[in-house]
Amino acid sequence: MEQLAAAFTMLVTTPIAFFALAGLIWGFVGGALPGISASITMALILPFTFTMDPVNAIVLLSSVYIGAEYGGSIPAILIRTPGTNSAAATVIDGYEMKRQGRAGEALGISLWSGVIGSLFGLTMLVMLTEPLARVALLFTPMAYFALGILGLSIITSLSGGSLLKGLIAAVLGVMVATVGTDPISGVSRFVFGLPDLLSGIKPILIMIGLFAVSELMRQSGIKGPEGDTTESVRVKLPSWLTMRKIGKAQGIGCVVGTFEGLMPGGGGSIAAFLSYNEAKRWSRYRSEFGRGSVEGIAAPEASNNTVASTALIPLLSFGIPGSNSTAVLLGGLLIHGLLPGPRLFEQNADVILGLYTGSFFSIVMQLLVGIIILPICIWLVNRPRPYLAGFILALVLSGIYTVNGSIVDVWIVLSTGLVGYLMVRNNFPFLPAILGVVMGPIVESNYRRSLLLSAGDHSIFVTDSIALGLLITSALFIGFSLVREIRDARAARQEAQAGIA
Amino acid sequence: MKKDILSGGIVLAVAGAYYLGARQILHSRLEDEVGADGLPLILAALLAALGVLLILRTLFASRQQAGTGTREYQAPYPRALGFLAIAVGYALIAPVVGYLVGIGLLIAAVAMYEGNIGPSWRLAVIALGGAIGFWLLFIKLLGVEQPTNMFF
Repeated sequence: MEQLAAAFTMLVTTPIAFFALAGLIWGFVGGALPGISASITMALILPFTFTMDPVNAIVLLSSVYIGAEYGGSIPAILIRTPGTNSAAATVIDGYEMKRQGRAGEALGISLWSGVIGSLFGLTMLVMLTEPLARVALLFTPMAYFALGILGLSIITSLSGGSLLKGLIAAVLGVMVATVGTDPISGVSRFVFGLPDLLSGIKPILIMIGLFAVSELMRQSGIKGPEGDTTESVRVKLPSWLTMRKIGKAQGIGCVVGTFEGLMPGGGGSIAAFLSYNEAKRWSRYRSEFGRGSVEGIAAPEASNNTVASTALIPLLSFGIPGSNSTAVLLGGLLIHGLLPGPRLFEQNADVILGLYTGSFFSIVMQLLVGIIILPICIWLVNRPRPYLAGFILALVLSGIYTVNGSIVDVWIVLSTGLVGYLMVRNNFPFLPAILGVVMGPIVESNYRRSLLLSAGDHSIFVTDSIALGLLITSALFIGFSLVREIRDARAARQEAQAGIA
Repeated sequence: MKKDILSGGIVLAVAGAYYLGARQILHSRLEDEVGADGLPLILAALLAALGVLLILRTLFASRQQAGTGTREYQAPYPRALGFLAIAVGYALIAPVVGYLVGIGLLIAAVAMYEGNIGPSWRLAVIALGGAIGFWLLFIKLLGVEQPTNMFF
């Protein structure tokens, strides 16, 4: 109670509410621009925090993080372009709903689920930092390898009806992930003498190429609206009925997001895909997934927004930044002489209280800011199609250039777009390829690190209890999905035969 | 059916090219037991096997299963490749003419191609306005890099 009173006093007597709001809006804008990740959005504002009061600076940076994690879902739903890596899973059903003229509803669900996820993550951060921080330390390279396998195992259910084509797409994705410097020996692979490829190909480039460029190519020549459309620009927050329908998916997203946030390197994109898959598995409306499912938006959005808060647990407890975004936040703390660790909570309690209070204020304001900003976004994507296509392509090409400041990235995205278009035309699914790009480096580097630790003995994956648990879970996932696929194929065959008869 | 056999053939070709690339990976003294080329060689073999499986499955699949699934609008290949060519044009000319001019030309070219419209004042104003808007957003507000020449 005393702490709550102190938080309220801080909110009304200091300017943290202003910095929280400013950070949130900046984060929305940065996250919504393709290629400008949450970490870049934070890094762009970092120099402005040098002269600020430490509490205001940390509140500003954490609010940018919260805003950017949500902002990535806006272009994912409206123009099939994930603004950030973690918004890739939102594209699946979000864009489908937009195509059905339900953009306002999709954005409302993503906004609401984002707020729920952020609040849940913040509660975990405030209440359970100490026990959860201990969990983070239990993760060994073997466990990370098994986590990567768990991530890859969901390919079986994301293959869209053809497991074989899904596996081909996944292998192609992992192949892309092998480009660059080998994580163990430092040898360069598949760089063809191009220095720009030494650091590898960023997953966001592949996502934008596959989703955005291929979609623009596929839609080329479609006659769109010539002026204002009849589609409402209102953001439709979920009704009580919808809230009940998406509740389970949000719960799954929150739980998955909590654990993924704890693991350095886990990140929002893995959490989003895992929770999407789990929400689909446990849903009563499984057939709606991929066709504009409200749960298909709720789960990944709740999940990646939970990660934005729980990723702070290893950062604040041990100074371990689990992602680029938390690394920028760590930079912000260090600039102001704040050393993360248990003593931060004792010696700089005001900063921690400010961080919690500012984050809570940002999350609540997320709803209000979203309701104001999102209708403008819907209006923009309903402009006449020829001009809209030009502006989307300009936004995509400008955004990706900012990733590394290199024209090579533009070529990578355009090539991926061509591959994506060929994949669409030949019914190959995208999602396994994206999972391959994201999970490939995690699986390879941790597999090899584990073998270095065990001097080549593979039994290390069985003797590590977390790794063993995750590997068994992966095997069960694959088994269940295969059984379901065989059953569905058999049912489809019988239906076809009945139709012929 | 033919499409899947062709896809399988392309997958095999990619696997072959990737295998040749993997064989070019140098060995390091710091190398572990798996090696920098360990995963790439496995991936090449796996992709080749999947490509063969795809061809075999297509050859043995019943004709009844062909053509299932939803059909939606797909731009024909020449149309889609024409769109991509405009984007390729931007990648080629932006480092020469600079970001402001390049992005304006890109917006105008896409609008003309997509809407089958000729040059007009409206198009010029929209392209110029868009270019200035993007320039202000990325260069001035965000201060991030974009292709530059000696003028812009």
